[in-house]
Amino acid sequence: MEKKGPEREIRVDEMGLAFAKIMTIFTIVGIVLMVLPAIAYFMGINPYVPLTEAHKYWRLSANDFWLNVTGRKVTGYSWIFDHLDKTDCLSMIGVLILMITPLLSILAGVVKAENRTYRILLLIAALEFIASILVKSLVAVTSGAKKVVKK
Amino acid sequence: MYAGFYHVFKNVKGGGDWMAWWFWPLFMFVFTLLIGIISPVSGVGGGVLFVPLSTIITPFNIDFIRGAGLVMAVTSALSSAPYLIRKGLANIRIFAIVAPVMVITSVVGGWIGLWVTNAYPDGKYVIKVLLGAIILLVFFIMVSSKRIEFPEVKEEDRDSLSKKLNIWGEYYEPDLDAIIEYTTKNTPVAIVTFAIIGFVAGMFGLGAGWANVPVLNMLMGVPIKVATATSMLIITANAPAIGIYLTKGAILPFIVVPSILGITIGARIGAKVAEIIKPKFVRWLVLAILFIAGVLNIIKGLQGMQIIPPILPGV
Repeated sequence: MEKKGPEREIRVDEMGLAFAKIMTIFTIVGIVLMVLPAIAYFMGINPYVPLTEAHKYWRLSANDFWLNVTGRKVTGYSWIFDHLDKTDCLSMIGVLILMITPLLSILAGVVKAENRTYRILLLIAALEFIASILVKSLVAVTSGAKKVVKK
Repeated sequence: MYAGFYHVFKNVKGGGDWMAWWFWPLFMFVFTLLIGIISPVSGVGGGVLFVPLSTIITPFNIDFIRGAGLVMAVTSALSSAPYLIRKGLANIRIFAIVAPVMVITSVVGGWIGLWVTNAYPDGKYVIKVLLGAIILLVFFIMVSSKRIEFPEVKEEDRDSLSKKLNIWGEYYEPDLDAIIEYTTKNTPVAIVTFAIIGFVAGMFGLGAGWANVPVLNMLMGVPIKVATATSMLIITANAPAIGIYLTKGAILPFIVVPSILGITIGARIGAKVAEIIKPKFVRWLVLAILFIAGVLNIIKGLQGMQIIPPILPGV
């Protein structure tokens, strides 16, 4: 049987389309900002942790890895923001953008929501998302070297 | 036999000693490309497959694998969700109802999960066995259920919340050469179930695709393709957990970047495959993934408690 395709356009919510548009844009931005510095990193250009060092310790837990390569453990985002001139740390900015992309997409959905109910639901999701980022990051920082990321 | 199996894989994992360092990033790219294709087709986040398999076959520590697995699962969902929304397959209305519930319960689950693993030495292994049992239970429910490709939701089946929120959607089904319109039922029960799933997913540090699909499909009555695509959309709500791994330095370019490239390219292929693939095939793929995930978790939990000898390394 020959398939003709849909006889009419598929109806999709405006809030869905706005959500999808923002998600597409920021996912691409996040991936590009992650990949371009990483290419420089793989080429050996100005790394914070050279691959030859990383190779020796990537079997170890995250805590032990950082103890061996820098002499101290990592707690918080300072290892990224204090070394933005280093290609591997700069690459993590892309990961941060990917982390907040769903939040930005939800906010776009809030703007285009067809009624107050969906606007409120998406707004609650956005607020929870922000709280969740803060809480989860805070849990990792305050638990310090203990055991959030375990072997 | 399992001792021999374990020995072989341990030698492969030890390959970092004799293989050039660039082999493993390259391997991660090819490996994740394949996972990326499967992920949007099945609605199960890439992390569920990536984490257990990577701990077996790569030399990377579980910390970096978990961190990369989470970024991959979220990126895979971010890459395919917009396309699925535009095609009417991923439903933003269902997401708007589920996300506020799941985000909050996953945070609570994460807190309690940390407390359990800190307070009891074997706690995390008991949790893994329980998780495996839950996944296998879902597997057996799905195996024994019927008519899940296109569940029928009659007007009298719709609950008042579904009507009030006007939950609906439509998509083109090439297999039938027709536009399929759908709505939902059992919305209040589904919301409670999603709250529990969020709690469990947060507690175990997993994505929730394995549980989202059967709830959307069997409980709420949405077509299997919509269930898998909407599950992918819901997985994006796991993104805040990336903060845990970033703040511990467990996300690094040498494993994450090749994996993200692989999963992104794979997910774009997978999203197109999801549109044209036969619903029956999707169903069996979901079942196979659920079964593997369930068995792997039970094995990991039992060997962690030293009830069985080590079969899977990296636990």
